[in-house]
Amino acid sequence: MSATSNAHDSAPLGDDSLCAIAARIATGEVSAQAVTEAAIARAERLQPQLNAFISMQAQAAFDAARRIDERIANGEVLGPLAGVPLAHKDMFYREGEITTCGSKIRRDFVADRTSTALDRLANAGAIYLGGLNMSEFAVGPFGTNVHYGNCHNPWQLDHSPGGSSSGSGATVAARIVYGALGSDTGGSVRIPASLCGVVGIKPTQGRVSRYGLMPLSYSFDCAGPLARTVRDAARLLDTIAGHDPLDPTSSHQPAGDCESACGADVKSLRIGIPSSYFYDEVDSQVAAALEAAQRTFAGLGVEICAVDVPSLDQVNLIWAAALAAEAATIHRKWLRERPADYGAMVRRRIEFGLYQPATRYIEALTLRDSILREFCSTAFTACDVLLTPSAPVPAPLLSEVDVGDSKAMPGLVMLLSRCTRPISYLGLPAMSVPCGFSEQGLPLAFQLVGRPFSEPTLCALGDAYQHATSWHQQVPPITTSEQR
Amino acid sequence: MSRITGDFVAALARVWHRFEPAGQDMEALAQMLAPMDDAGEALSKDVEFDQQPSDYATALHAMAESKDRP
Repeated sequence: MSATSNAHDSAPLGDDSLCAIAARIATGEVSAQAVTEAAIARAERLQPQLNAFISMQAQAAFDAARRIDERIANGEVLGPLAGVPLAHKDMFYREGEITTCGSKIRRDFVADRTSTALDRLANAGAIYLGGLNMSEFAVGPFGTNVHYGNCHNPWQLDHSPGGSSSGSGATVAARIVYGALGSDTGGSVRIPASLCGVVGIKPTQGRVSRYGLMPLSYSFDCAGPLARTVRDAARLLDTIAGHDPLDPTSSHQPAGDCESACGADVKSLRIGIPSSYFYDEVDSQVAAALEAAQRTFAGLGVEICAVDVPSLDQVNLIWAAALAAEAATIHRKWLRERPADYGAMVRRRIEFGLYQPATRYIEALTLRDSILREFCSTAFTACDVLLTPSAPVPAPLLSEVDVGDSKAMPGLVMLLSRCTRPISYLGLPAMSVPCGFSEQGLPLAFQLVGRPFSEPTLCALGDAYQHATSWHQQVPPITTSEQR
Repeated sequence: MSRITGDFVAALARVWHRFEPAGQDMEALAQMLAPMDDAGEALSKDVEFDQQPSDYATALHAMAESKDRP
């Protein structure tokens, strides 16, 4: 079957957004099989350059698409993702299937459960295309991986795609799949979304079940979607969010209202520009793009104001201490028994958690409550949402960040995750939205940060911005029309 | 200022965690630990003797977006 055999127009199927292709499948305008076949073809064609997949399940995906088509032909009304090919960071467990977690240690690990997030996507009709490249054990913002090879940025192959959800950012940006899940413990959804020019949402802590998600940090891990548009990401978040009895830390807060917030009037909303921290080390091109984004929001009738935020430099560091203590607890056995099976950078970043005093860890978590209250009471007094850079710099060269455990490594990590990690400590929802390109043609992005459970407000603002701009419609050179 | 050194970290590895950190640059690990130690020390003054146990989940809901919020 031809990839576009039953399409009514000549545009490649990969051009459609997730919501658009889902609508076309639901009406029978295109078949799930054709859409899936085209996605598989794109994935196979671009894999040698991007190295975005760790494993691909082409036949299983095609079989699932055929079943979707049969159900549609039988007149069944299916879920909002019926027939849409997705792929996910290779740390979401699927019962009976290998989930590598980007590691050598789990190269042959067969999961004994299926993650709730994947289960909910499948129930909505999504097609699982494969497991995506990632930083080893989700440690590191660069997208480098010594075991499976580095993932590459579709916009410039010699640049970092960001991490740790590197394959999620790269496959969505390259128009291979229509959306992907990643995990975000300190920026691992937002950084690759920013560096690859796609939308990424880190939900409020507890908004999405972590059952069946490889743990890195009990306190800070979040699962979140990456997609081409805010509406697409909103649909994915609506699908996976909500309480899960299998994850007692998941929130009972009602979910499912993000996509319906897209298109809402944003004139009554106020965006705050933090007067400290977030813009302190920002690259001039990123700063210019964010100033332009402010003007776009002002043109939409959104009030823009400067706001004070509490100091976050120390928060940034105690987040790292607490995260490392939890990660080291999880990895302690392997650190002792299989130290040589870790990449040097990853081992060092996990290992230093072994040397934190218990009191330091307890202090970090004890203060989280009061620091959150102080931050919200200060930052959100005069505004609804903060606008910050997602990353303070455009995507660095892979050669600049592939530094192993050298002395340059901690500084590079701190710089790239500077704007995202304090938000993870606070547990606030945040969304990265593309807002321009550097002179080199690398994507730039802003981050919207809101109060707990304000994902619909973030979606309303992000969607309004994308209706006023076209950054999200730009296609990487590697994804030419012929290739798609 | 933090007084964490490579020798101190190596001793912790051996004593607390019962492994020999062979081939590792323990000074580099110490340098990663030092700023976190200083930050933790600075913030630890905010922990009060009679402070109630932290309830982060409740704080999240208390700070949530509300239509009534000004």
